[in-house]
Amino acid sequence: MPGIRRLLVANRGEIAVRVIRAARSLGIETVLAASAADRDSLGAALADRTVCLGPGPAAQSYLNPGLVVEAARGTGCDALHPGYGFLSEKPALARACAAFGITFVGPPPDTIEQMGDKLAARAMAARAGVPLLPGSAAVADSAAAASIAAEVGYPVLLKAAAGGGGRGMMIADDEPALHAAFETASAEARAAFGDGTLYVERFIRNARHIEVQVLADGHGKVLHLGERDCSVQRRYQKVIEEGPAATLAPGIRAAIQAAAVKLISALDYANAGTVEFLYDAERAAFFFIEVNARIQVEHPVTELITGQDLVAWQLRIAGGEPLDLEQSDIALSGHAIECRINAEDPANGFRPSPGRVQGFAAPEDPAVRFDTYLAEGALVPPFYDSMVGKLLVHGSDRDDAIARMLAALDDLRIDGLSTNQAFHRFVLRHPDFAAGRVHTRWLETVGMDAFLARESAA
Amino acid sequence: MTISHDDIRNLLRLFDASDWTEMRLEVDGLKLVVSNDPNYSAAPAAAPAAVPATAPAAAPATAPAPGSAAPQAGAPVAAAVELKDGQIAVKAPNLGTFWQQPKPGAPPYVQVGDLVDETTTVCLIEVMKLFTPVKAQARGRVAAICVADGTMVEFDTVLLVLDPV
Repeated sequence: MPGIRRLLVANRGEIAVRVIRAARSLGIETVLAASAADRDSLGAALADRTVCLGPGPAAQSYLNPGLVVEAARGTGCDALHPGYGFLSEKPALARACAAFGITFVGPPPDTIEQMGDKLAARAMAARAGVPLLPGSAAVADSAAAASIAAEVGYPVLLKAAAGGGGRGMMIADDEPALHAAFETASAEARAAFGDGTLYVERFIRNARHIEVQVLADGHGKVLHLGERDCSVQRRYQKVIEEGPAATLAPGIRAAIQAAAVKLISALDYANAGTVEFLYDAERAAFFFIEVNARIQVEHPVTELITGQDLVAWQLRIAGGEPLDLEQSDIALSGHAIECRINAEDPANGFRPSPGRVQGFAAPEDPAVRFDTYLAEGALVPPFYDSMVGKLLVHGSDRDDAIARMLAALDDLRIDGLSTNQAFHRFVLRHPDFAAGRVHTRWLETVGMDAFLARESAA
Repeated sequence: MTISHDDIRNLLRLFDASDWTEMRLEVDGLKLVVSNDPNYSAAPAAAPAAVPATAPAAAPATAPAPGSAAPQAGAPVAAAVELKDGQIAVKAPNLGTFWQQPKPGAPPYVQVGDLVDETTTVCLIEVMKLFTPVKAQARGRVAAICVADGTMVEFDTVLLVLDPV
């Protein structure tokens, strides 16, 4: 199969820059499909050509599959990279690409659809023999939920079948609480996703978020590239990611990696993907959560510890190349940490802080990587996610990486916007983080209050 | 004899109602070719614009196979248009393919010299078989049509220039 010749980049911000650079390294021409708000962005300057989809609001530009596919056709692109977010996991985009003979850089549309339906994904994982959190299929009412919960044991989590991002999700500590929460969760799910279907899962109080990066070439080869620990989360949004999951026992890490490869091998899967797990620190057991059928924000953590260029692999696999690597070729070296740099004000309820960058300096340490679309004079438009860059360090071990990240956070200078750099420094210096005791609700239950108390004392 | 817009409209209506796949007419220097074939390509030189027979907002059955109506790939984007005093630009509401007439072979919505007002449809913008009419949004006389039929336009591209009236 011939490789990709001209690629439409259907995204913005730092991932647009990242994809353009990877394409360029492979000799692929790039066309950036940008909104009017991103016409003068760094991605637009780097792409061979930029076309303007529509006005700033995402619904009129980045979220419209028709516009994106029309842009690819109109500029003679033979492939399309969706990045993350926006349309990256909408089967409609992958299907429209297929209908017009454009190579979609991602898994087949049916697989994207299957992984987007949480209950279908759970069923696939069960068939593949991957451990699932004790729980249920769809439950009809709160009585059915209560009988499942009695088997599973409290506390339980009510979750939306169509869901994600924490909407339609509620914790119940006992049966009266479950009955009380059921209607609310179902109504929330219906409002957010147009589907009020709920299911029940055991709730783990002390859970780590562990995810495994995989590459599948569609010719039968599936490799894992190690795991990442993304337990520092705020409202189900990752804040700090690191790899490998150094605080887990080696046996557990190997078992999680093997489970991810087993699941992806059971699917009709090609391209990069991530299998997410919850790790129950008290029981030393792990459970499947979901598959992200796209490149993820935190993919550079894996790139630093493996030396593999994941976005280049995405383009090569989409172009038909087989993976000419064996699992034994993937060696993990050192420890990497990523801090998501957001234009927001943590001391004021994380209020977004869009605007124009007045001054900008990235750290010069070669062990530091800053993936960003920022430059002096760059605009952070108000229409999109507040993430403006990803600060990454590669250290010899976890302690070294933490020390380097603290220095990098000091060296990174972004004038004209509020950012969460001070918040990152606070988390990295916290004894719980250093000891690897952080779980997925640590920020909400411990970290935030401690941070705000310190801010008000300062 | 001369052929009026109304004559052409009537001819197209008759063609539409018929089971014909193609109609050719030559009168007094006017050459009209109408075709239902999505892969129809006009003979070189003398022919009218080779627009595939994509019926705007028509039933899917008449839509050509995906890919056949691709905008002219790699076509250069219209050069920046300079407006003279008082002139009004009609701009593209989003990226898409610019079509000057309601369906292939039909007369264009407007020509240079036509009077338009806020409600006049001046062209269509197609996004994957969805055809959105663009209104003039101002009173004026068409001074220029800035984009070639069937080319991809970006958001905010100047499609037409109107002289104030």
